[in-house]
Amino acid sequence: MPEQANLPDPKRFEVSRATLWFDRFMGWLIRSGGVAVIVAVFGIFYFVGKEVLPLFHSADVAAAGKIDAATSPAVLGVDEWGEMPFFYSGGDKVVFLNAADGARREIEVPGLAGLKVTAYAFDTVHQRVSLGLDDGRVGSFLVEYDRKFGDGGKSIIDPKVTAEPWFSLSHGAGAVTAVSYGDSGSGRVIAARRGEGAAATVSVLRLGMKRGLVGKGKLSLLEEVDVTASLGAEPLLLKASQNGAMVLVACADGGVVYFLADSEGVSKRQSFRPFETAPPRQMDFLFGGVSVVLTATDGRQEQWSLFRTKKDGERMFGETKTFPKLAEGRVIFAASQRNRTFLTGAGRELSIRHSTSGEVRWEGSLDIDPVIAVLDAKGEHFIAAAADGTARRFSIHDPHPEAGWRAFFGKVWYEGGSEPVYQWQSTGGSDDFEPKLSLVPLVFGSLKGTAYALFFSIPIALLAAVFSAAFLPLEIKRVVKPMLEIMSSLPSVVLGFLAGLWLAPLLETRVPSVMMMTLIVPLAALATGYVWCRLPIGFRNRFAHGSEWLIVIPFLAFSGWIGWSLGPLIESWLFVYKDAATGKEIADFRLWWPQAAGISFEQRNSLVLGFMMGFAVIPVIFTIAEDALSNVPKSLTAAAAALGANRWQVVWTIMLPVASSGIFSALMIGFGRAVGETMIMVMATGNTPITEWNLFNGMRTLSANIAVELPEAPVGSTHYRTLFLGAVVLFGMTFIMNTFAELLRQRLRDRNRIV
Amino acid sequence: MQPKETQPSSAFATTGRSRKGEPWIWLTAAGLALGIAMALGLFLLILLKGTASFWPGRIDLMEVSVDGKTEWIAGYVTQETERRDGGGKLHEEIQVFRGNKDLNGEAFKYIDRAHILKSTRPESLLLVERLEFGPAIVNGVAIETPQGRIDVASPGFSPALKTMLTQGAESRSRLLRIERKQIGAISRELEALGRAEKAGSVSEETASARRQVLQKEFDVLQAQAAEIRAEIAKSKFFGLAADGREVKVESGALLGVFESNRAGFFGRVQEMLHRIWKFLKDDPREANTEGGVFPAIFGTVIMTLVMSLFVTPFGVITAIYLREYASQGLFVRIVRVCVNNLAGVPSIVFGVFGLAFFVYFVGGQIDQALFADKLPTPTYGTPGIFWASLTLALLTLPVVIVATEEALAAVPRGVREAALACGASKWQAIQRVVLPASLPGILTGVILAMARGAGEVAPLMLVGVVKLAPSLPIDDIAPFIHPERKFMHLGFHIYDLGFQSPDAEAAKPIVYATALLLIVVVVTLNLAAILIRNRLKKRFAVSSF
Repeated sequence: MPEQANLPDPKRFEVSRATLWFDRFMGWLIRSGGVAVIVAVFGIFYFVGKEVLPLFHSADVAAAGKIDAATSPAVLGVDEWGEMPFFYSGGDKVVFLNAADGARREIEVPGLAGLKVTAYAFDTVHQRVSLGLDDGRVGSFLVEYDRKFGDGGKSIIDPKVTAEPWFSLSHGAGAVTAVSYGDSGSGRVIAARRGEGAAATVSVLRLGMKRGLVGKGKLSLLEEVDVTASLGAEPLLLKASQNGAMVLVACADGGVVYFLADSEGVSKRQSFRPFETAPPRQMDFLFGGVSVVLTATDGRQEQWSLFRTKKDGERMFGETKTFPKLAEGRVIFAASQRNRTFLTGAGRELSIRHSTSGEVRWEGSLDIDPVIAVLDAKGEHFIAAAADGTARRFSIHDPHPEAGWRAFFGKVWYEGGSEPVYQWQSTGGSDDFEPKLSLVPLVFGSLKGTAYALFFSIPIALLAAVFSAAFLPLEIKRVVKPMLEIMSSLPSVVLGFLAGLWLAPLLETRVPSVMMMTLIVPLAALATGYVWCRLPIGFRNRFAHGSEWLIVIPFLAFSGWIGWSLGPLIESWLFVYKDAATGKEIADFRLWWPQAAGISFEQRNSLVLGFMMGFAVIPVIFTIAEDALSNVPKSLTAAAAALGANRWQVVWTIMLPVASSGIFSALMIGFGRAVGETMIMVMATGNTPITEWNLFNGMRTLSANIAVELPEAPVGSTHYRTLFLGAVVLFGMTFIMNTFAELLRQRLRDRNRIV
Repeated sequence: MQPKETQPSSAFATTGRSRKGEPWIWLTAAGLALGIAMALGLFLLILLKGTASFWPGRIDLMEVSVDGKTEWIAGYVTQETERRDGGGKLHEEIQVFRGNKDLNGEAFKYIDRAHILKSTRPESLLLVERLEFGPAIVNGVAIETPQGRIDVASPGFSPALKTMLTQGAESRSRLLRIERKQIGAISRELEALGRAEKAGSVSEETASARRQVLQKEFDVLQAQAAEIRAEIAKSKFFGLAADGREVKVESGALLGVFESNRAGFFGRVQEMLHRIWKFLKDDPREANTEGGVFPAIFGTVIMTLVMSLFVTPFGVITAIYLREYASQGLFVRIVRVCVNNLAGVPSIVFGVFGLAFFVYFVGGQIDQALFADKLPTPTYGTPGIFWASLTLALLTLPVVIVATEEALAAVPRGVREAALACGASKWQAIQRVVLPASLPGILTGVILAMARGAGEVAPLMLVGVVKLAPSLPIDDIAPFIHPERKFMHLGFHIYDLGFQSPDAEAAKPIVYATALLLIVVVVTLNLAAILIRNRLKKRFAVSSF
């Protein structure tokens, strides 16, 4: 012990192990924690991106079995789940094949034995095979599938065939050579061709359902119309729309004739030539029955849709889309029953196309020579069959067929529209609604809202920043700056609510007053300054420099009041609306504006929005611009003053140029704040996705659109992912702006350091 | 020209007060004045409108004659407006709140000033707060109790009314206890029983035996509730509306009676305080247009607290890492730019992320791991308060990181080096010296984050806020804390009442009051942050080496 006491104790200088251990542990914890948080933050982009990416995938198609029906597939149909296709080749039997195990089942069509079928067609929507006989009769049978779940959850599909009544054609002669059937539920239409070549005639039959007291009622012929005379050339193809509202007949001279069939009868509406003189080889309606896809002999493929023409407002067919050319040869076509995709092809090459965006979703080639194909009702499988009855079954995975760059950012010609437009309308009332997913009106809305907000905020914010940085005494600045900072943290929902429920009704009748105020108030400020510096110096010296903002307040208030009360006078002088009906003259800007400018006036408009957004944007711009101006090195301003510059010259020639990049960065951050603002946009804009710069109507912004629609969108749907894409666009816009602003600010900091 | 050159120019004579550019300076002054006027004006507007929604006015009794028909209308004048008719003629109109929604259908009526023949303020008019149909404005007639009928003129009226009010409140709370708590417990057990039976952990016999017991308990409770209802129905308040129709209110539905026109100034102040208190502590009624906002306050507070619980440690750790541990190279510079940037990312984008990641991804995983028996009904895989808090934590993370980094940077180098020279390890120096010194700065950041979080609404609309939550996220039902529940929020309450409410006009006072409350909360938090920051500045101004 005593020896040790003499030696210096090494343990005194040793750090305790616990301390070291703890130090290492904390170092590790903080490092990993810090990195984890940074990674997590960037994970945001990954996750949002992951939701968006599937939108840009094309369709996946995979082989899902081979079938051999050993009978020619004149008609090929399939059940909803794509599991049991049926083949009908014109006889009295329908062959059902189970795609899974190849089990074959033949079902006889009641009452068809002994009859000679000369024409057939298939309507996938109603699962109806329409028939024409050699004796001039037309009829049909329905195929129904009944799905039951057996032991162990295995599904058993039980097909059924029901015949429908026959109708005799009274016009024309010879066998029926083509037939097509349309069904609206209450009324039906059959189009049929008799005879061949130049002697062929076309009849349209309108059928009605007589309502019985009990049961479904009896189908009866209302009228048979011979439309051959209005064709002009030999009829080649005929098609009744699935909803029974119209019949199209394609003729040998390349013309397609459109007949409207309604409760009043059958009338010719239009004749159009999709491929000049070349007759179409194929003609089929798309889902919804408004558009028809036509293919020429040389493989050109076009879509024609019904829309009201701009000229006379008549609902006529017009060419809306051209699809990539098919190879020559027999055309295969099958329309989806869920959306506007269709399967088409020539030879062995097949492709899945989407009509809205006009894009090819998938392309592939088969190992057989298909003559016919069909899509199941869910759009998850298709079956293509060759002439000898061998068939291939494919599964389709295409959850977002309507998505794509062109659909989101291009002009699209939607069904029913008279021209290609940018339009956002994500949900509709009916099943056959065509979603309109253009993000352009939303981006436009965001930019419009931002523009009007900045238009109002930038002058006030920059003027205030200049005064505060250059002239305001320090002790007042210490109060004013935090006050404006608090203003920036005002919940935007409060601002939005005030905009929508307080300001909008207030300004609705006072637009001329607002115009007068924006004109008079700045002039009053300038005039005050002009007069002030001509007042005697003794009087002026009583007020300290930097108190101008207080002195100007009464003048501003007074000029504001004058502007406000001048409004109605100006209105009765300039904005007089003349009622066309009564000839009465009313001084009302709300009525005058639509009449004079031809665009609408809404209560919740960009004027209200711009003003309220000011509360959110002014403080942001003010704070950053003020910082940039205040940080201009004193040596510069002092040198300028010493050289004889007066105080405005110091500001104008030294402070503003030196701080310019900082001011610019303030504007960009203000832009970022305005573009992403949500609640004010939701509450004060009316939320209509329009694309006009009109000051007196609203807009629908990306942010508001997400807030309003995302809670309702089904998870994983195209709509849901498109809203995510909107978020990505919004994020991209702000991120680029902010990064740029940040770089500018750093550059400014470096420059000021050098100076 | 000549004499001027010999004299000193006016610029010198005016001691720098040159005229050149002076109007522009005044224009900048006007800009500042406008900015300040806007900020103050907005606060004042909300303050005025918010307070006015609590202030009891006077009831006007008006004789209104339209097209020869005369009508008596009693109510509060809520607004004076102008309307232009088809011929362009201006009409001065007043908007009157006449209550009695059960009689009139609509509580508000616009009256043309020209149609008012006579307007008085009789002291006998009463404002009757009810559980349903909003307030009634009536002349008191009598009250009916099991002991008999007491006329308004009799001296026993007002004590009897007071007893009736307290008894009614008591019965209501008893009913609530039975219906919400006891019957709720039974239905929860039934539900759990059903699930257990489906999963096979409880046999069918035990389950049905237990069901019978529960059914009996339920019947007993039902009978108790019916008894209380019958008791409530025995006492009634009778009044006559201005047009002579009778208004009858059962004691259970009677919330309060206020003599609007008789009360003096202090009486009205007292009533206002009473209303503010009720507004803060009551549940909403009548599709949120009546009653208070307690669940919204509670939801906002809990969500903000949970958010700060997450954002504080993570933000501080990240800031310490960036400032003290990471080597200051390009990487840290980039991260810093990105963090600054993140503060400018629109809040709705965070909401979108929260929905995709927290709710559907993390929540979905939790459901599959822990609540598989309840699927397909999601437990955590649906928006809720926990996910809302996490989303907002992410949103406010940059605020805390930036503030903490600034605070850490402000700690003088000397202090740090002194600690290390005394033999402290790196962490010891941070823990004992740097962190305490930067604590006010960190606190400022956290408070600013809370202020931002409390006022944010847009992301919440995606991750868990609802217009009416049936139960609070923390209550007396096991397990007491329910992080998966949806919640109400003051900000969303404003949006919902102002823009989605069936009766927006009737909801306006509550919207203004809620807006005032929200602004008071946010501004208080901000002021606190600013005060702390100022104190911090002073402290380091002294202690720097």
